[in-house]
Amino acid sequence: MGERTLKELIDRRNFLNWFLGTTAGAFVLSILYPLSRYLIPPQVGESTARSVTLSVKPQEVKANTGQIFRFGSQPGILIDTPDGQLKAFTATCTHLGCIVQYRSDINQIWCACHNGHFDLNGKNVEGPPPKPLEEYAVNVRGDQIVVSKKG
Amino acid sequence: MRATLRCFLLSGIVAIFFLPLTVLGQQQGGNCAACHQSLPDERLAQPAKLFSGDIHAIKGFGCVSCHGGDASDPEMSAMSPAKGYIGKPTGTKIVEVCGRCHSDANFMRQYNPALRVDQVTEYYTSVHGRRLKELGDPKVATCSSCHHTHAIKAPSDPRSSVHPLHVVETCGACHANAEYMKPYKIPTDQVDKYKKSVHWKMMTTKGDLSAPTCNDCHGNHGAAPPGISWVGNICGQCHAVNGELFSKSRHAKVFIQLGIPGCATCHDNHQILETSDNLLGTKEPAVCRNCHTGEDPGGKSAAAMRAMIDSLRQENDKANAILVRASHAGMEVSQSEFDLNEAQTALIKSRAAIHAFSVVTLKKEIDPGLKASAKAYAGGVKALDELNFRRRWVALSALIILALVVGLVLKIRQMEGGQKNRE
Repeated sequence: MGERTLKELIDRRNFLNWFLGTTAGAFVLSILYPLSRYLIPPQVGESTARSVTLSVKPQEVKANTGQIFRFGSQPGILIDTPDGQLKAFTATCTHLGCIVQYRSDINQIWCACHNGHFDLNGKNVEGPPPKPLEEYAVNVRGDQIVVSKKG
Repeated sequence: MRATLRCFLLSGIVAIFFLPLTVLGQQQGGNCAACHQSLPDERLAQPAKLFSGDIHAIKGFGCVSCHGGDASDPEMSAMSPAKGYIGKPTGTKIVEVCGRCHSDANFMRQYNPALRVDQVTEYYTSVHGRRLKELGDPKVATCSSCHHTHAIKAPSDPRSSVHPLHVVETCGACHANAEYMKPYKIPTDQVDKYKKSVHWKMMTTKGDLSAPTCNDCHGNHGAAPPGISWVGNICGQCHAVNGELFSKSRHAKVFIQLGIPGCATCHDNHQILETSDNLLGTKEPAVCRNCHTGEDPGGKSAAAMRAMIDSLRQENDKANAILVRASHAGMEVSQSEFDLNEAQTALIKSRAAIHAFSVVTLKKEIDPGLKASAKAYAGGVKALDELNFRRRWVALSALIILALVVGLVLKIRQMEGGQKNRE
């Protein structure tokens, strides 16, 4: 009876050691995994509500063109104006919310849905849009273009 | 009478000593206003009182500019025909008086180079002008009927009778008056109908002054009902894409052949309600049913187009719902929300593309929309999967921590038991 008890005690100790080792290992893993996921950058960078760094470099922006970029969950439009200025506006038309585009033939921002026109100050100049487009501030920092909300 | 004479004399003295004679009467009424304002007869006093806020008075014009006469003369002789006094102009005389300056480009350029000078020419092309000129109809609107007589403001002034927010009341003063309009045998419910329209709603509730009011469709001075064949051009001024698609559609020709107006056949003319997808198709309240049944080719096309629109709208709603769920759960889904904008744009473009009345044309807009919507939905699914994974991971971590605590407690007990045995 005494020997059996001793054997049981040894088995129990071994099991306890194994159990402790396994749970401690799992515990370390449960800390390391989220930590590693946090350290690896996401596929697409998050933008804050107020500013975004564009993936395009200033020297890559073609003259008299426009391109859509992501400002949070909303589209923005970056335009290199005919006089060489970089300008950015919200790309959501103030009429029904379609995504606008830049038309180099008329040097205006244009909404294809209902033929709304905005000038290069974002002002609604033709068609149904009732309000101007919100303009963003564009800053070139080295080889980065940073677009931020004004005010 | 004595008081009036005293007033004339006093004004005359002031005028002689303080104002150059050449501008008398050109300065907000001069002698005329000085006396007329104090006259007990409101009919004669009110014009002088109102005129001080009139745009013409502000620009330096006086009573004699329109009424003639001699403002430097403090006597009743100032209002003598010999001095050019014409009294209160009526009918064509009103148009002539206003047109004397407003049709003179050189003169008007001094005050507003951008102002048009063809108002009189346009007016005589209008139903009002034609009836006045050809029939001498005294009831039709002339310049002063719409612009007021002595309190004329610039159209951009919110107090102006022709400010966008007031045009409907100005036109409605006659056109909504059934008794006044009785001889003309035309409907008088336009104002009531217009005030139920999306245009009025946009103007009054959203403050969108570019929304059309009476003059935007009927013309300002050349006011007339648009002809059936060109009503689409009127609506197309703002709804350019829809107008262009319609003009190239098979409906455009057929409507002209049938003698029915383009846009107004489906959207009404004054009571233009907010559109919805329900207007399309072959089931109540679709407007296609007015001409088509579910069996004819047109009806089948309408039903097919409605199904396509519904499909994109439902897919967008589905994607939006899952993204809202993910977002409310704290997941970062801005990329997918960005993708959904593209799908929503496609839906709006599709709704405009309906006006081509072609399944093929509509499909070109619907397909990219469905693709963008599916991408956004997939992003939502991925975000929720990630959320579930994180929840499972938290639960598992909690279990591991619990097990570790239990293991540690047991180990401590075992170590304490061993120590006691050794003792």
